[in-house]
Amino acid sequence: MEDLENNTTVFSTLRSLNNFIAQRVEGVSGLATPGSSQSSLQMQYQQRVQLEEQAGQIHSKSQLLQVEREKMQMELSHKRARIELEKAANTNARNYEREADRNQELLTRIKQYQEREMEAENKLKEQMEMNKSYKKSMETMSKKLQEKESKLAEANETITVLKGKISELQWNIMNQEMQMTSQDSQKQELMEQLEVQHKKWQEASQQIQTLQASQSLLAEYEQKIKDLEQKLSQQEHDALIVKNMKAELARFPKMERELRQLREENAYFREMKENNGLLKEEVEGLQRKLERYEKLQAQLVTLELENEKLLGKLKSWEKLDQSTGLNIRTPDDLSRQIVALQQRELVLKEQNSTITNSARILEKARQQLQEEIIRVQSQLLDEKKKREQHEALVRRLQKRVLLLTKERDGMRAILESYDSELTPSEHSPQLNRRMREAEEMVQKLHAHNAELEVQLSQVLEEVGNQKQRADMLEVEMKVLKSQECTADQSVFVTKEEVDALRLKIEELEAERSKLEGENRALEMKLEKLTLQGDYDPSKTKVLHFSMNPASLAKQQRKEEQQQLQEECERLRELVRVLEGGGSIPEKLEGVGGFQSPQEIA
Amino acid sequence: AYGINSILYQRGIYPPETFTRVQKYGLTLLVTTDPELKNYLNNVVEQMKEWLYKCIVQRLVVVISSIENNEVLERWQFDIECDKAAKDESVPREKSQKAIQDEIRSVIRQITATVTFLPLLETACAFDLLIYTDKDLAVPEKWEESGPQFIANSEEVRLRSFTTTIHKVNSMVAYKKDSFP
Repeated sequence: MEDLENNTTVFSTLRSLNNFIAQRVEGVSGLATPGSSQSSLQMQYQQRVQLEEQAGQIHSKSQLLQVEREKMQMELSHKRARIELEKAANTNARNYEREADRNQELLTRIKQYQEREMEAENKLKEQMEMNKSYKKSMETMSKKLQEKESKLAEANETITVLKGKISELQWNIMNQEMQMTSQDSQKQELMEQLEVQHKKWQEASQQIQTLQASQSLLAEYEQKIKDLEQKLSQQEHDALIVKNMKAELARFPKMERELRQLREENAYFREMKENNGLLKEEVEGLQRKLERYEKLQAQLVTLELENEKLLGKLKSWEKLDQSTGLNIRTPDDLSRQIVALQQRELVLKEQNSTITNSARILEKARQQLQEEIIRVQSQLLDEKKKREQHEALVRRLQKRVLLLTKERDGMRAILESYDSELTPSEHSPQLNRRMREAEEMVQKLHAHNAELEVQLSQVLEEVGNQKQRADMLEVEMKVLKSQECTADQSVFVTKEEVDALRLKIEELEAERSKLEGENRALEMKLEKLTLQGDYDPSKTKVLHFSMNPASLAKQQRKEEQQQLQEECERLRELVRVLEGGGSIPEKLEGVGGFQSPQEIA
Repeated sequence: AYGINSILYQRGIYPPETFTRVQKYGLTLLVTTDPELKNYLNNVVEQMKEWLYKCIVQRLVVVISSIENNEVLERWQFDIECDKAAKDESVPREKSQKAIQDEIRSVIRQITATVTFLPLLETACAFDLLIYTDKDLAVPEKWEESGPQFIANSEEVRLRSFTTTIHKVNSMVAYKKDSFP
């Protein structure tokens, strides 16, 4: 409704506008005069503009209204759509609920059916099992029936067989009874024979008994004979033993005497052994001492030899002072002299080195100066050459100038003659031709001239270069000659110094080689000493563990030695006591008694 | 410690049945089972390790002497040169464990081989371990100063050396020349 109202207002405004414009147009067309045209036009224009603005505004307003209308329509449609959606949703929900209820009912029915199915299946299974069991029982029953029938058939067969067997057995019994009677008769006969033989056996046994008795008697007699023989042999043995015993008894005192002698000899030999041991140890000790003394002697001898050598050297050194006359009494003086000589040598060497350095510097300076001289001379020559070239150029140019002036004069003369000739005669074309030819000739001549001059200049340059080279070589020759002269002069001056220096160098090299040899010898000695285990006591010290195995071994050794010495003393006391044969104390008796049975055995 | 055990076994200082075999440096070496000896060796080796780290040790000597007359018969000497700058360097020295073990193995093999030309030790012997250190080192408890135990009339033989880039060990053996030719 608002929209419609808006539309009506819009249309009303539009109508008013159109009316106004129509009026104005009529007004404008009526008042079309040039006098007030401009102001009315302006007014019309302004009105038109205002109208147009209003039209635009109204147009925009109409657009707005249309847009708003469309918006309202959209909203309405939106609302309708929402309402429809809600309705649809509600209907869907209701349908859904209905279907859910139906589903539940169906599910309950399905469950019931499933339960009934399960029950039916169970019943089926039970019946099947029952059937199976019945079948099995039926089968067993049938089997049993079959077995019974088979057994019956077998039984019938056995009955027939047994009946046959019974008849056979009866026939056998008859036969056996017949045999029994015959065997009884045989038995009676055998019994009679048995009795006869029994009697015979009794007689034989009686004979056997008598024989056994006689055999036993025989054995007894044999045993008695053996016993008697044994007794005889024993008695013979005893007689022999008695004889031996008597002989031994006779020997016994001799044996006792020998025993005593052997014991004495044993003791003596033991002492001798101990003495021998002690003597061997003494001998070894003495041998070692001997060796040491011999080594000492050898060392003494070598030391004496060295001493003599050193004395000889000393004497030679002492003679030195007499030979050199330098007031030398002691090696200190010698060393001082040597030190002074060495210092002088050092000073001289330094001087020598400074002199050689200055000589080198001077030589270098001289060489540099000579090079400069050469350069300067070459430059001089170059400039001379250039000057000569310039002078030659100048002469050539002057000659040219003269030639040109002459040519000009000639040409002027020719021209004047031609001019003088021209006015009277009319041989101008021939004369022109002759002029041209002459000019051409002149130009050719000029060109030829220029070429010749160029060649000349080149040749002159080459000549100049070669002259320059020749001059340079002469200069160098002069310089070398001058160098030779100066070298000869310096050689004479320093030859003596060089000889002295060479001698010094040789002496120093000899000393150096000697020192090197001594150095090597000392290094070898050092090496040997380090191998032997030497060390510098001021820088190193030797440590070892207090409880080390060597000391432990030494302690054990000492203890063993002490124990052995104590045993030795005890044994010595025993021996003394035994030798003395006096009262033996109880402690020693046991030891002596232990020893004597060992000796007897 | 393994070198010392080898020397003790090879020279017969202790009976062979008191040694048992172990694998080390790729060789089968024999080490003692005697508890006193093991204890002694462990004490010495522990102290040596400490001193080696501080680069104080100059030499280790195994002295074999006869028990009867205290005469020194053999001297196994191991000189140790320590690069003291190695402690201050931050970059570790490049030498593989295997290379060091190969060198140690060659030294132990050489010890075993030198036994063939050493004179026989006929008397009962005992051994001692001497360590040469800097003079200004504090002597720890249980240790004491001793003499260098030189051999009077000795022959010396230089053996191989091996290096771990921080320590260089030179080995040599000195033995008493036989008095009877």
